[in-house]
Amino acid sequence: MTKSVHIIYITIMVLIVILSFSAIVYFGNSYYATSLEERFFHENHRILEPKGMWGHGLGIFGSLFMIVGVTSYMARKRYRFLSRLGLLKHWLEFHIFLCTLGPALILFHTAFKFGGLVAVSFWSMVAVFLSGIIGRFIYIQIPRTIEGRELSLNEVRDMKSDIGAIIKSSYNLDEESYNKIVESTTNASNRTGSLGEVKKVLKKNKLSKEQYNNVLKLVRNEISLNRRIDRLVIMQNMFKYWHVAHLPFALVMLIIMVIHIGVTVTFGFRWIF
Amino acid sequence: MKIGKILIVVFFVMMLGNPLLAQISPGELAEVHAHLEGISNCTKCHHLGEKVLNENCLACHTEIKSRVDQQKGYHASSEVRGKECFSCHNDHHGRKFEIIRFDKDKFDHKLAGFELLGAHAKKTCKDCHKPEFITDQKIKDKKFTYLGLNTACLTCHEDYHQNTLSKKCDDCHNNDLFKPAPKFDHKKAKFQLLGKHQTVDCLKCHKIGTKNEKKYQEFGGVKFDNCVNCHKDVHLNKFGQDCKQCHSEESFHTIKGISNFDHDKTDFKLEEKHKTVACKSCHKTNLTDPLKFAKCTDCHKDYHNKQFEKQGISPDCSECHSQKGFVGSSFTIEKHNTGTFKLEGAHIATPCFECHKKQEKWSFREIGIRCNDCHEDIHKDKIDPKYYPEADCKKCHDVETWKKVSFDHSKTKFELLGAHQKQSCKACHFPKDSAGKEQQRFSGIATSCITCHNDKHFKQFEANGTTDCKRCHQFNNWKIPTFDHNKTRFVLDGNHKNVACNKCHKEKQIEQTTFVQYKFKDFKCETCHR
Repeated sequence: MTKSVHIIYITIMVLIVILSFSAIVYFGNSYYATSLEERFFHENHRILEPKGMWGHGLGIFGSLFMIVGVTSYMARKRYRFLSRLGLLKHWLEFHIFLCTLGPALILFHTAFKFGGLVAVSFWSMVAVFLSGIIGRFIYIQIPRTIEGRELSLNEVRDMKSDIGAIIKSSYNLDEESYNKIVESTTNASNRTGSLGEVKKVLKKNKLSKEQYNNVLKLVRNEISLNRRIDRLVIMQNMFKYWHVAHLPFALVMLIIMVIHIGVTVTFGFRWIF
Repeated sequence: MKIGKILIVVFFVMMLGNPLLAQISPGELAEVHAHLEGISNCTKCHHLGEKVLNENCLACHTEIKSRVDQQKGYHASSEVRGKECFSCHNDHHGRKFEIIRFDKDKFDHKLAGFELLGAHAKKTCKDCHKPEFITDQKIKDKKFTYLGLNTACLTCHEDYHQNTLSKKCDDCHNNDLFKPAPKFDHKKAKFQLLGKHQTVDCLKCHKIGTKNEKKYQEFGGVKFDNCVNCHKDVHLNKFGQDCKQCHSEESFHTIKGISNFDHDKTDFKLEEKHKTVACKSCHKTNLTDPLKFAKCTDCHKDYHNKQFEKQGISPDCSECHSQKGFVGSSFTIEKHNTGTFKLEGAHIATPCFECHKKQEKWSFREIGIRCNDCHEDIHKDKIDPKYYPEADCKKCHDVETWKKVSFDHSKTKFELLGAHQKQSCKACHFPKDSAGKEQQRFSGIATSCITCHNDKHFKQFEANGTTDCKRCHQFNNWKIPTFDHNKTRFVLDGNHKNVACNKCHKEKQIEQTTFVQYKFKDFKCETCHR
């Protein structure tokens, strides 16, 4: 997948989420803003109530999206035969897409009624969703291979290029400037505003704009990488604990969702079937 | 395994943390269904695999089922038939959820079996759907229900008529106004409104009464078999109770069947002449207009024109007249005698008109009590007024008879003596003339006998031109019992004593006059003897 295709891929998914959410909000705003006791008498109740054509559909599709999003991502990670099918990063993005769209649909399926046993499922879903956002933040902090595999601390350190050598060989900077730049990258995790000092130094050396940007990019990457290396162990530990929260909540959600579906089917609610 | 354990712990913590543990309900039930909360009650409404079935609802709501089975009420209407209960009466929307809610303004009440018309359409639901109007105690005990009402008016409306009329209010009333009752047709009532009854205000007959300490207008039970049920019997039952014999509904004053009217039942009994009088003669306006009848003059004109008035009051005609007619009078002689002119003697037998109707009209006042006020003074200029001053007849006559005269003739120059006393006045005073007609003669009568008497002696005894009868005759006896012939110039002696008078005094006729000859030319024998 080329970068542009990836962007389209991401954009489509984001648009789907935003448009779906917006459309539902637009269409159901009046209904959802109505108090619980009054909703039955709302003109859209028959459509938007949890067992209504749309409301029930939202629940079914929301659930399916989540189930597909979870199972596909889990399967991609666990089964060897899928390991070569696309980049894990893209699977994660698809997982995030489905597990963002799904809860959004489920949210409207509940019609903001959070009672009963199924509420446990809902709040579990919320927990999974929120933990997913947190997880995503942690995930980014851990350097990975292009397939998305986590890099070990050593592998990350190996990734580091010798920024000092590159700058020295490629750009004509005075010694003082060079020392300041290298210093700013090595102490980046301890200091703030170091990038500003680099910019001052570069301006003083009167580099071309292109050169200026290239150096700045190098410095940024160096600082980022240095920070990651600094946090890697912490992040790797956090990620372990995060899984303890993310996965069980997802399972609780799914179990109760199954119970919920069982109960509704038992009580005769079968949507269009 | 570690993750699995953690998962179980998290699951149960979440379950315990949820106040609705093991609660699969999608929301709180409405207050009326609150007693059905709890997992054990789900199937009381929900039929597994088939949502909520109507039969489950109706298993509790038997009152609805009963009406649906009877094809009654809104739930049996075409609008509801075939629908599922929950499509209108949903639940699990919270305690305060109105499980019965509909657009009250647009609700077609006709579908409930009672179309709201007129004033009903202006009422709110709660004006009628309230416990006071519900009779079924089970339904009444409900907090609120639209059931339990009856279409019969009196289940909601108070029986203004206090159970005195039929309970079919809509026979008379419509839905617009209770008053008046536009559907009421008095023609359908047992009492038909005819004539004036059609314009009489209802209240005149249907009065405001009180029953059960409440005021109401009496419509039922109003007696009408008799007019006096409503009308005052001004006749005080004198004519019986059947007013229609005389009166009609057109007007109390218009009398029908007058021929049957028995006037004798009134306070004024028609007797004698009154029986033949036309009604209008007395009842000049309406027959029913009250008439005075205490006095005759209330109807009759005082013919006598107040002649009998005393101190401004005229006595009633009936004091003298009867109803047999004005001709004739019951005024008795005794009554007459209490007046200034007593009827005595011949006056008693004198008809009234002789004195009281000298002119065309009767007259009873100031007709005079003197004789000549009535009687003609036939003696006027005939008898010297000194003998009956002021023409007072009573000086000679009395009231018994004219013929009886008591006059002291000695007051005249000619005292009546002897046989004269036995003579009627007429014999001397009403001599007949040559035509045989009596001629009154009181004055200018000479006292000599021959004034009245004829000289039967044919002037044989005339002396000095007059014949004085008294020389021989007496008043007491005309005949001369004590005649002494010897005192004449011819003394009877000898055989003359025994000779009958007429032997010498023979009848002689001269000029067709026969007389006894007493005087002879001489007394010679041959005058008599031959």
